[in-house]
Amino acid sequence: MRYKFEIGCILVLLAAYLFTYLEVNRFLYVAGFPILQFVMIATAWNILGGYGGYINFGTAGFLGVGSYTAVALIQWLGAGIVEQVIIAGVVAGFLGLSIGYFTLRLKGVYFAIATLALAIVLETFVNNWDFVGGAAGISFLPPRKPELLGYVFIDSKGGALFGNTKEYLFFIMAVLAVFSVWIARSIEKGKLGRGLNSIKDNEEAAECMGVPTLRLKLFATTISGSLMGMAGAVFPSFLTFIDPLTAFNLEFAVNSLAMPMIGGTFTWIGPVVGAVLLGTVQQWAIVTFSSELNLLILGVLLIFFVTVAPHGIVGWFMKKNK
Amino acid sequence: MTRIMKYRVRVMLLAGLFAVAFMLTSVTAPVAQAQNKDPIKIGFSMALTGALAGGGKQSLVAMQIWQDDINKKGGILGRQVELVFYDDQTNPKNVPGIYSKLLDVDKVDFVVSGYGTNLIAPAMPVVIDRDIVFMGLFGMNNNHKWNYEKYFQILPAGPSPAVGFSGSWFEAIKAFKPKTIALLAADAEFAQNLKEGAVENAKAMGLEIVYNQNYPPNTSDFTPIVRAVNSKKPDIFYIASYPNGSSGLVRAIAEVGTDAKAVGGGMVGLQYAGLMSGLGPNLNGFLNYDFFVPEPTMNLYPGASNLIERYQKKVKAENLKVDELGYYLVPWAYAYVDILGQAVNAVGKIDHEAIAEYLHKTKFTTVVGDVQFGENGEWTESKTLAVQYQGIKNNDLDQFTKAGTRKIMFPADIKTGEVKPFNELR
Repeated sequence: MRYKFEIGCILVLLAAYLFTYLEVNRFLYVAGFPILQFVMIATAWNILGGYGGYINFGTAGFLGVGSYTAVALIQWLGAGIVEQVIIAGVVAGFLGLSIGYFTLRLKGVYFAIATLALAIVLETFVNNWDFVGGAAGISFLPPRKPELLGYVFIDSKGGALFGNTKEYLFFIMAVLAVFSVWIARSIEKGKLGRGLNSIKDNEEAAECMGVPTLRLKLFATTISGSLMGMAGAVFPSFLTFIDPLTAFNLEFAVNSLAMPMIGGTFTWIGPVVGAVLLGTVQQWAIVTFSSELNLLILGVLLIFFVTVAPHGIVGWFMKKNK
Repeated sequence: MTRIMKYRVRVMLLAGLFAVAFMLTSVTAPVAQAQNKDPIKIGFSMALTGALAGGGKQSLVAMQIWQDDINKKGGILGRQVELVFYDDQTNPKNVPGIYSKLLDVDKVDFVVSGYGTNLIAPAMPVVIDRDIVFMGLFGMNNNHKWNYEKYFQILPAGPSPAVGFSGSWFEAIKAFKPKTIALLAADAEFAQNLKEGAVENAKAMGLEIVYNQNYPPNTSDFTPIVRAVNSKKPDIFYIASYPNGSSGLVRAIAEVGTDAKAVGGGMVGLQYAGLMSGLGPNLNGFLNYDFFVPEPTMNLYPGASNLIERYQKKVKAENLKVDELGYYLVPWAYAYVDILGQAVNAVGKIDHEAIAEYLHKTKFTTVVGDVQFGENGEWTESKTLAVQYQGIKNNDLDQFTKAGTRKIMFPADIKTGEVKPFNELR
């Protein structure tokens, strides 16, 4: 079947909406949101890191820019979530393009350090920007009955598309996650993906063969940054609070790198597998025994997979079937 | 088995793995509603690690003492009380998730706040969204943005907490007849609110503000900041800081020195046993806020002394790794859950509307005396003390259990000493 993947995407979205329609325990939306967010972040990271071989430690920077663009829009214009996501995507994409232009001449560990510095510089900037709450952070109360073109789409008394804000944000995150996976798959199957793979294998050889390496890398940083920014834009509304420590937390950088590594970096399904698996384990750990063990679990799994299955879960499965 | 079959089996195994992973989160969500004879659950986040752990841990012990007391008396509405809590790690980002978990997974009957303004702020949107009663523990002006009618808090800073909190301190410094003031605050919710109030008090006294800056909460070296303040030669140096900053500033001032006659004001953490004994004589001269000190005139809170004694015995007997003295938070942490318990018992049912209404109109008798909530759930009167650290000889904790190391400078009717210039006590 030709459009198998696209039909799968639509089915996933329908399932996500039905899940909100069931109005199960509200915590499941709260736990599901970060898992979907991780799917998006890991997928976005993988476009540059997995296909192109450029290790980006600046995920928190792009995510934070998305979050604070959303905060600024709420403070300035009282913008709704859709506007926040679109504009955050544009701003973070532009940042990705600019950073890419300045840093893509660096390779390996130098590129990684440069992107890590990005997050720190941006965090310092936001720390001193009082309009968005400065270092103290800022709290929000999401509108109880938001409207879009006169239609109330959240109403706790029923009769609207969603029963509460958490369900709505869960669905928005599901749409964004599916959108990012679709983008990643399109890149992987197209000329851009093949070009990025050739850069990963041998950049000089790719250049000699006529691959426009700089243009492809800039395209990848822009798309990757934009998707991370979009994932960040929903974060303040979901948390109802944001501060620079949260938005620019290095945990995002570690997760965005570990999830594709564990799932498999060479295909679009790898980051999805890694994010769903690790995200679920982390959410489960928070509820059951300790919220502090998240990073420990992550570290142990990362060491395990890097040594036992260096191509990730998907790679391990495919190898076994060769 | 053919290779294709093997592949399909592996794909099914992978799908099964995801299904199990998803179900792991589902099984943790209890489905049954609380039965009438089940305990009444009170949920909260608490700073058990991180910068505010010194206060958070002693608050938790105080709440557990209250839990034992109330359960011995028959509990709330004839049901035993159970406390459900999670460590927020003094990290605001953990708070919304914890409260969501408490309400949706643990199905608690009530939530109360964790300790401190910065940790109450992120919980506010969650409780407002659920429209439930919310008791706050040491929240500085948390409700000014929301005007939420079901919020009540236990910081005795009066109806206008930002101004009332530093009111006693500014009264105490009048003895120096100051003309100029420097203000320094951590860039965090609590400290910013406090500084805002201090600026109002300073203006009301006609002081010229020669320095007014913030510092990021993760600052570790304060010597450049203290030097910058010294260059402005202020008569008075007002500081609003959280424990890490307070400790860093005390050490930096010990190293660099200052000519200001009064230093301190809103330094959280200097009341913790660990910091007091750690900083020892470096604290001499600091003029700071407090709520309870072991001074002979300390009769503001009649039930507090007995409770603190019980707390200290419990800590010793059970060898708990918490603040050994408990002066700072124990009475307040006990009182805020006690008030909730009193209100629910009086209303006779779990009805948040009726409980909030009762909390608004009633004067409660507690271990911290009579408590009446006014507008925005704040206290109707301020009972903040201004105390000066004097005569600290070494790092021995015992000296802080006796009168004389933290003398009361204001309110005037219970003062136990004369305020002295900072450098005279160094």
